Amino acid sequence: MIVQSFKMAWKSIAANKIRAFLTMLGIIIGVMSLVVLVSLVTSATSSVTSQIESMGSDMLTVSVRDDKGLPLRLADLSDIAQDESISMIAPTTQTMGSVKSGSETTEVSVEGTNASYFQIQGDELASGRLLKSADLENTSYVAVLSNEAAVEIYGTADATGQTMVMNGSKFLVVGVLAEDDSLMASIGNMYSIYIPYTVAERLADSSSGISSFYAAASDPEYTDRAEAAIEAALLSRFKNDEDSFYILNQSVLAETMSSVTNTFALLLGGIAAISLLVGGIGIMNIMLVSVTERTREIGIRKAIGANKRVILLQFLVEALMICLIGCALGIALSGGILLIVNIFTSDTLTFTFSGSVILVAVLFSTFIGVVFGLYPARKAANMHPIDALRYE
Amino acid sequence: MIELNDISKIYRIGDEEIRALDSVSMRVKEGEFVSITGSSGSGKSTMMHIIGCLDTADEGVYLLDGQSIEHYSENELAMIRNQKIGFIFQSFNLIARLTLEENVGLPLVYRGVSASLRRERVGAAMEQVGLANRMKHTPNSISGGQQQRAAIARALVTEPAMILADEPTGNLDSKTGESIMKLFRNLNAAGKTIVLITHDDHIAQQTGRTIRLMDGRIESMGRTGVAAVNGPIAADTGGGGTDGVNNDSAVF
Repeated sequence: MIVQSFKMAWKSIAANKIRAFLTMLGIIIGVMSLVVLVSLVTSATSSVTSQIESMGSDMLTVSVRDDKGLPLRLADLSDIAQDESISMIAPTTQTMGSVKSGSETTEVSVEGTNASYFQIQGDELASGRLLKSADLENTSYVAVLSNEAAVEIYGTADATGQTMVMNGSKFLVVGVLAEDDSLMASIGNMYSIYIPYTVAERLADSSSGISSFYAAASDPEYTDRAEAAIEAALLSRFKNDEDSFYILNQSVLAETMSSVTNTFALLLGGIAAISLLVGGIGIMNIMLVSVTERTREIGIRKAIGANKRVILLQFLVEALMICLIGCALGIALSGGILLIVNIFTSDTLTFTFSGSVILVAVLFSTFIGVVFGLYPARKAANMHPIDALRYE
Repeated sequence: MIELNDISKIYRIGDEEIRALDSVSMRVKEGEFVSITGSSGSGKSTMMHIIGCLDTADEGVYLLDGQSIEHYSENELAMIRNQKIGFIFQSFNLIARLTLEENVGLPLVYRGVSASLRRERVGAAMEQVGLANRMKHTPNSISGGQQQRAAIARALVTEPAMILADEPTGNLDSKTGESIMKLFRNLNAAGKTIVLITHDDHIAQQTGRTIRLMDGRIESMGRTGVAAVNGPIAADTGGGGTDGVNNDSAVF
């Protein structure tokens, strides 16, 4: 009987294709927006979180807000790095600089740091060498350029060995980093130049101490221990004032990020679900019209032996089928939209179907088909055969 | 086959009580070809509904094929209709978007008959009404007479205890109507019990017996003079059944 109900439902849908399609449109659009929006958000989320993780979930960023007149020195960092949970530590100080090359001036972001910085950040070298501890000790005027900076200033990434004049000081370019195509790099599109921390300090003409540094745990599992070790060291350094510094744990950042985007996905999904609900009301509307139009048919079917259950099933299956065909079309369309979106976005961000949202879409469409199909189907089933046969 | 004992059907409109059928008793034997006539409002439609198990009587007992039809739920009545009654309507009542084959097979679908057996029986029924070569046609692509033949095939396909025809020739021209009546007589000759509801005395005359209703009561219940036989109808049109009193009941 179920098979027959499906056949009958298919026949009546096929007999009225345009109407069926228009009825489906609500579901198609609803499913499409649900699948596309949620897939976009979840794809972006997973992309961003994986980027954060690739930067190292074992990374800690520490910034000092108030050094109580006891500036943090490189030696202090070396002491902190003694803890076995910490593998590397890199001071940073950021300033702006202008680099002259010929008649042109390029604004750059200057990062004063040490050799560990590149390892913590996961940066790789394209040519030359990275900063060395000797560079810091000798206050050597050497610089490592990001790939983009080298291309901008010299027109080629192969800039090792060149001389560079920045803010009136002469630097030797000792290395160029490999191209960084990560999402984070494309967000902060500054031309970065890395120089020894001691040189940056001297150029800034300040001895205010280290205001921020990066640390990497010796193992991702030790990140929390490393955080505790740094916290303890800084607390004792800064008179137990826990507001004097701030430690950002990368793994916590990743968690926060994903919880924010999950909320976002839920919100967008909810909005799309409302449009699906509206589509369901459209189906109920058309099914009611269809039941009225087919009153006589219902009468005939009842006269020749269809009972209430059979009529109910026929119309319910019809509503359900409209919903599920609409759902399938919506999923197919959203697949197409995601493909188009992928063409227009950068390679770092790939949007794929979220499997769970497809499941949700199918289940929700089924739910809507049953809920909004039930009333018209009951109306059909409860018709009295005589009245139905008489209907003109 | 059919036995109505003191059947009444009462409608209430406001405070007024209308007895559409008022203590009607009658019998139809197996193999009979009976017509029920009467002017509009005489109660023949109500009678058809009750005989056809589309409705139940408010008073009295109705026995169909030995089975008492009362206190049945709507679903049980649907099953009885499916098994015992073949309906034929004035406006054919085929479902327009289904082929004739599907239309004729529909009662068997509701009975749960397998597709292969269904095909076989639909084929036999279509053969019987002379539409074996029209299986895949839709109702709108054939003539009214052919549609009514298909409807008759649909009524025959379940091999019902009784065929109940409601003004089967009402929407047909007289020539086509004649051919449909001939088909009925042939079916009757083959042993089918047929109850035909009509307001047309000329049609009623062609049946074995006419039951005439007026104001919800049976006015007369006699033989019209013709039993079903193949070939032309005995021409007793002279005085038979032209008027209220059935005076030719003695012919047979």
